[in-house]
Amino acid sequence: MRDRYPEPGDMTVRRLVELIGQKLLITPVAGETGYSRLVGSPDINRPGLALTGFTHRFLHDRIQIIGETEITYLSSLDQEARETAVRNLFQFPVYCFIVTKGFEPPAEIAEGAAGCDCAVFRSPRDTTPLIHDLTGYLSEVFAPRKCVHGTLVDVFGVGQLVTGRSAIGKSEAVLGLVERGHRLIADDIVRIRRTGEQLLGTGDAIMGSHMEIRGLGMVNIPVLYGIRSVKDRHPVDMEVRLVDWTQKPDFDRTGLDRSTTTYLGVRIPQIVLPVLPGRNIALLLEVAAMSFLLESRGVDVPAELDLKLIERMRETPGGG
Amino acid sequence: MYQKAVAVPNRLGVHARPAALIVKKAAVFGSEITISNGIEEVNGKSIMGVMTLAAGQGTELLISASGEDEERAVEELCSLVSSGFGED
Repeated sequence: MRDRYPEPGDMTVRRLVELIGQKLLITPVAGETGYSRLVGSPDINRPGLALTGFTHRFLHDRIQIIGETEITYLSSLDQEARETAVRNLFQFPVYCFIVTKGFEPPAEIAEGAAGCDCAVFRSPRDTTPLIHDLTGYLSEVFAPRKCVHGTLVDVFGVGQLVTGRSAIGKSEAVLGLVERGHRLIADDIVRIRRTGEQLLGTGDAIMGSHMEIRGLGMVNIPVLYGIRSVKDRHPVDMEVRLVDWTQKPDFDRTGLDRSTTTYLGVRIPQIVLPVLPGRNIALLLEVAAMSFLLESRGVDVPAELDLKLIERMRETPGGG
Repeated sequence: MYQKAVAVPNRLGVHARPAALIVKKAAVFGSEITISNGIEEVNGKSIMGVMTLAAGQGTELLISASGEDEERAVEELCSLVSSGFGED
């Protein structure tokens, strides 16, 4: 199973350089023997205080960013003091150092790095945007994630996770949506990761754009429907769970009582949709997406209808 | 065919939530079920129909059923209505 993100356990300094080195514009300065170190956290640290000797709370298990403040401080020291300051840092097993804003790392850092197998990079980019890009990417790598059996489709911009037992008709319903111009993100296996309060869904890099339709086998969606029919990733905004129509249905008849479900600690609306021969599920999924859009703009159709009805009964007491 | 009249006791009448309770209960039975407010007669399993009755507090509803479980259907629906749907 391929994913566009490495497993957190595979996130070495080397992988970091391969994956976002170009975006960060980083080039190696020293310590290339430190490439196999594992990056174990998405956070970064500015080692300013540690340079001054206060290493009590030094967060060494972070990527260390040396910006203008640190460089200016180091260049204000005489050589002996500078060596001591840098030694304070290298006594810890840090992941790696990135010197920003195009500064030339002091010779003491390059030497210290080479001496303890710790990679040092430099980048011409400004410190804050570089930190944003770096932590943004690493947060996604380290985000809580799970795999869900279902199909993710973008319907009018609403990410619908369609779930339900095997062979209930998820793929057929989503094929209907693709036919109507909506976009498939993943079929059968949806990878969900949490970034902040949002759930982001992706599919497998190879499998994601294929669907299995029982009786037809594997079909390639973008080959059949064009590139507009697929998408790499989309937020998971709601779940529609397809269930068998039973003899004693207990389905929501009004839409007044909304149920929710939780993935990775994020709560999203859930609709339980009974499947019955003759029901056009693709059409119903479209309506569910449009209702979601209305609700997210504060329009509550069932509650409004209920209020109108109560008003009518008040005007004509005794019925009629 | 079995039928029985029942008055709507709750203050807000048969609005959306009570209507949903009625149609869910009605759907349990195999019998054909109709509900009338004296002016209109609707299908007891259709929520839009039951809401159209606009049966406010005090409205007399005539519940009719025909089928194998007609008597039980009417009795259970009548006791649901006379319970006030758990509302005041």
